[in-house]
Amino acid sequence: MRSIKAWWLFVAFLSGLALAMVAEDLILKHRDNRLEFSAPHTDILTGQPLARLRNAAEVPFVIKTTLWSGNKSHVFSSAVDRFIVSYDLWEQTFSVVKAAAPRKSVSHLTASAVRDWCVSQMSLDTTGLSGNEPLWARLEIRAEEPPRDGSPWGDSVNSAGISLPALIEIFGRPAGGQPHWTLDYPQFTLDSLRPTRGGS
Amino acid sequence: MKLAFIITVAAGLPLFGGDALTSEAPADTAPTNVNARYIIESVNVLGSETKALSKSLRGELKQVVGANLDSLRLQKLANRIKDELRVTKVKVHITKGAMPGHVLVNFEVAKKPVDLKVAKFLYDSKGGWSGEASATTRAAGNAFTLGLVSDDDASIARDTGFRARFERDNLGTDRLGFRFEFDDFHEMWNQATVSEDPSAIYRSLQTYTPEARVILCEPLEVDFGVRIARFRLSTPGATTESSNAVVSTLRYHQRWGSGEDVQDQELDASYSVDAAMRLLQTDADYTRQTTQMHYKIRRDRSRVEVTFMAGRTGGEAPLFDRFVLGNASMLRGWSKFELDPTGGSHVVYGSVGYSYRYYQVFYDTGAVWDRPQEREQKQSVGAGFKKEGFQLAVAFPVGASLSIPVFFAGMNF
Repeated sequence: MRSIKAWWLFVAFLSGLALAMVAEDLILKHRDNRLEFSAPHTDILTGQPLARLRNAAEVPFVIKTTLWSGNKSHVFSSAVDRFIVSYDLWEQTFSVVKAAAPRKSVSHLTASAVRDWCVSQMSLDTTGLSGNEPLWARLEIRAEEPPRDGSPWGDSVNSAGISLPALIEIFGRPAGGQPHWTLDYPQFTLDSLRPTRGGS
Repeated sequence: MKLAFIITVAAGLPLFGGDALTSEAPADTAPTNVNARYIIESVNVLGSETKALSKSLRGELKQVVGANLDSLRLQKLANRIKDELRVTKVKVHITKGAMPGHVLVNFEVAKKPVDLKVAKFLYDSKGGWSGEASATTRAAGNAFTLGLVSDDDASIARDTGFRARFERDNLGTDRLGFRFEFDDFHEMWNQATVSEDPSAIYRSLQTYTPEARVILCEPLEVDFGVRIARFRLSTPGATTESSNAVVSTLRYHQRWGSGEDVQDQELDASYSVDAAMRLLQTDADYTRQTTQMHYKIRRDRSRVEVTFMAGRTGGEAPLFDRFVLGNASMLRGWSKFELDPTGGSHVVYGSVGYSYRYYQVFYDTGAVWDRPQEREQKQSVGAGFKKEGFQLAVAFPVGASLSIPVFFAGMNF
């Protein structure tokens, strides 16, 4: 009997640990009417994208953030952007170019800093939301396959500029073999973020 | 790290370490690849010979050396190499160069361990089915091919059997290659041929052809070797006969532009002499000379092709070395058995074709004869559909007493 109790305690501990780890995959902060995302445990520069980067290729990542209100039936706000990552063969550091306006670039990054910088660019405006309204948030990241013509922009960029519908359409496609990550944050309120997550 | 995160966010400072450089670049001109500032030190094509590429593509590969790294340009070059070499994949591999700020570019041509292909597949409404399938494997610069053949199109008889080939493109130097082919065929004959010359009919044919290839000066090369042929005659009591010949071909191949350009041209020309001599213990002395030329030009989606062939045989050549017109590739629409059921000792043939996208029309003309008084020019016209190796066509013999169209369908014929 004693041994069974110990076994269940161990399982409960492991489950709790796993749950805590999952919960920590997506971290939200609320600051100046903006909802900021971070995903410190998500390694996006691994596997095939990393192999392509180490071969001096550019790898585009499309990131989408979504905030639902109501009964998770209404998309209150969402943002989508493309980030072109490259790896400096000589300096062995990463660089990123944010494609949508305002176009930004950052260089001399580590792999984790690439993820942090890209995700930090995807904050959402929360103006108009009350502090106790139930909300849901999601962060989606998708590495794009190299296009046949070699262009890092793919079909979503043409002479007229970046096509947001094309970027959004990317998330409508099945992921197939593309590396992709979807991180959901369970129901929360803006008030709940302030004391527990260290937001202002 | 968490503390640093909070401090840097609070201070509005760059978040990702002291060395990270952030900038806002409103213009779209800034390169997206940080490696674009590096200079290409050298370019190599691995897994294939660069001489197999067109002159213009080789020129472009040279131009890349000394230029800044441009991923898009390199990928386009890889696609062109893939198209010209007809391989499944060409991978661009980039590494640090020997000099600081330089990079090396390797185009790696992927080849399958065993390359299975349908070398020929044809249905001809007059001749029936013909096909050839082969498997090629490569090891240490050597290529071994084994193929199964049943071909009623290329020569007077239906050749059924197998073909084995060994090839090496480099014998100490890229300018010298070697090839050995062994064919073992069982022969089936049309009644028209049997009736015309029953004593020339043979039941089986075996040929051994060791050949060397020398590149004289690109794009001119010469093949030379011997072809040892043994064939068993069908007549009762007949023994196996030999037809052993010195074979040589002077070949010219040139290509201007490639499929990626608005216009490209290709010229293949050859002159070959086969001489069967008593010195090689052959049963019949003869010589066979053939001149061939094939030129094609493509501009956008339009393509014009011109073909010419002329040949003559001096002496008594066995049936497998006689000239044939009226098949799926020459003087289409006519039957080879109507033109000359045993083949001819002389031939002249010309063809002009035009295609737009996948649609084609062609005009063929030619004559095959033994004696000058038998020479009679024949003509045919046709139209069809052609996409890469696949072809569907109908051809009409012009001026034939019974103008029955011939349908062709298949690949690589």
